[in-house]
Amino acid sequence: MRITKYIITSPESDILPSDIAMKIYRSKNDVNVKETCFGVIINGEEKALNELLKEIRAMDPNGIFIKDRGFPPGDARRCRGRRGGGARPGFYMIEHESKMLPLISKALASEREDMDIVCPPKKRPLDLEKLEAIIKTELS
Amino acid sequence: MIRIAELACGPEYSGIQKEIERAAEKVGAKIVYPEVSLEDILNVEKKFGVKVASGDLNLAMARAVRIIENPDLADAVIVMTCFRCAEAAIIRSEIRKFIHEKSRLPVLSYSFTERTTAETLFTRMEALVTTVKFRGLLARESQKGLTAGIDSGSTTTKSVVMKNNQVIGTGWVPTIEVIQSAEDAYDAALSAAGVNRADIQGLGVTGYGRFLVGKHFDAKLVQEEITVNAKGAVFLANAQKGSATVIDIGGMDNKAIAVHDGIPGGFTMGGICAGASGRFLELTARRLGIDITDLGKLALKGNYENVSMNSYCIVFGTQSLVNSLSMGCKPEDVAMAACHSVAEQVYEQQLQEVEVKEPVIMVGGTSLIEGLPKAMESLLNINVIVPRYAQFVGAVGASLLVSGLLEG
Amino acid sequence: MAKVIVYPLTSTILADLVERMGHESLVIPTEVRKKIISTSIDSPPLNITPDDPKKGLKWAAVDVPSGVRGRMAIIGPLIEAAEAAIIIDDPGCLTGCSGCNRANELVRLLIKTKGIPVLEMNYPEDENEARGFVRKIKIFLEGLK
Repeated sequence: MRITKYIITSPESDILPSDIAMKIYRSKNDVNVKETCFGVIINGEEKALNELLKEIRAMDPNGIFIKDRGFPPGDARRCRGRRGGGARPGFYMIEHESKMLPLISKALASEREDMDIVCPPKKRPLDLEKLEAIIKTELS
Repeated sequence: MIRIAELACGPEYSGIQKEIERAAEKVGAKIVYPEVSLEDILNVEKKFGVKVASGDLNLAMARAVRIIENPDLADAVIVMTCFRCAEAAIIRSEIRKFIHEKSRLPVLSYSFTERTTAETLFTRMEALVTTVKFRGLLARESQKGLTAGIDSGSTTTKSVVMKNNQVIGTGWVPTIEVIQSAEDAYDAALSAAGVNRADIQGLGVTGYGRFLVGKHFDAKLVQEEITVNAKGAVFLANAQKGSATVIDIGGMDNKAIAVHDGIPGGFTMGGICAGASGRFLELTARRLGIDITDLGKLALKGNYENVSMNSYCIVFGTQSLVNSLSMGCKPEDVAMAACHSVAEQVYEQQLQEVEVKEPVIMVGGTSLIEGLPKAMESLLNINVIVPRYAQFVGAVGASLLVSGLLEG
Repeated sequence: MAKVIVYPLTSTILADLVERMGHESLVIPTEVRKKIISTSIDSPPLNITPDDPKKGLKWAAVDVPSGVRGRMAIIGPLIEAAEAAIIIDDPGCLTGCSGCNRANELVRLLIKTKGIPVLEMNYPEDENEARGFVRKIKIFLEGLK
């Protein structure tokens, strides 16, 4: 079965979508590639594609992210050019998560079992009694 | 090609997106999606006034903002969300108001289910496209020459003959066989006007049977009943300039149309059950043993508060009717309760989907049942106008509009 | 290898982390793929037909909006197949397949009441939180092996 995957590069990765495309072209597999602003969309036979994805991930293990996509690249049923313009709704989620990828990349790069991670607790609303005291002071 | 911007939440997942596109295609329009950025969606509250939990509704609002900022992106707008979603109902209504207040683009608001088909959407979409395509024709304020109109409705077929801005003959028959009924109504109007069919310079046709009847008579104008009735109503009520609201409670469905300078700006068409249509009033008259034409006068003598009536479903409505009569309620109170119940449903379901601005004009055969406009007046707290020839509104609108096609 | 459902169901980050750590992520696109390669139906864009909201009745009553039930026809089988779950509590911008919050609420409820291991967390806002985010997911997924 032919499947489609998004390959999304972290905005801080040195790998460009065109680098990934070149690698795929050189592999001479029967894989369709479409470059996009956040990476590439590739479509091919599942087995060959999964092998290729290992090589692509190795280009920047912490800066390349992969997810499934339902539609093949340029599918007329989803292509904005043929469907009255406007990005498909799911595009905004990719854009939203893309902004977080540099943080995840760095975390993956620094991930070691022995490293202690202490996250300070999130801020909580001010205690009511303290707020009352502040109001009294401010308004007195 | 007319571009209809789709601001929606849920049609793809309800399996009806294709139906929307099919309806648009059928009326020569194309569905478009205004381009917005992620930032536009995340910051939608700043420009629209609210942000909600469902992202696709935020996307719809961001697209609405984009259209207002760039009105050239679309020719008309449809706002569509899932039926029974409270979050979407609030936003759908607010988007409609937003577009209506800030642009001159016609808006169609609709809540769908998985059962919504292209056929359901077709007349609405046709009206939307007509308001864009034939703006010049719809702006026409007077009828010229000798023209006629036929309104092939689900319950009755109406016809008028007009000459130099005056109705000179009318015909009215129950719809049985669509073409024969149209022939009969047309003949009646011609005979009342004292003119021959061959003398008519142009014939316009509207209503459910418009395609069949239009083909049969080789009519010059075949047009859906939303734009035609809106035009006919403001013409008859002499309210062609400025805002007006047209309410047409029909035999099978109801229409509420917000009109500006004679052109529909927003409209709804529907009715969940026959309990909210003329059909229920017919049934009431029959149960009371009176003619439908006497129901209104009887209702005016009654008080709806004396009867518990809920015609949300025609079956339950009939039960209420039977129960109230068996409990000794007065016929006049029952008649008024039936009128109030129908008016209340149109108020609750249809009038919430359009901007109600004065004058409010009630048209169609049901507007002659005096209790109905009275009930609507009490619900809206606004005077309701029922113009002369209100029952012939579609035929008058068609006759008026077709005269515009005779020139040039 | 465990079948791990992620929420948001369209998350690139979660799907990638699950797969790179040796598990199968259960995501919407694989279900959409099944629909769009079926040549017997033609209901663009997603080939969801009016029958899907009816299939969704298995997870939501008839008075639930059709868009929720249509989504459940796709997501419901994923929840049924799930052996573990990672849920982001405040995912921010959700659109498309995750664009209906009523459907999202039902999805979270069904996942959490299924009785499978669930890791709940927030998206990271700084590098330290990101390290904690990746570490927690790693430990959770290793525990499933």
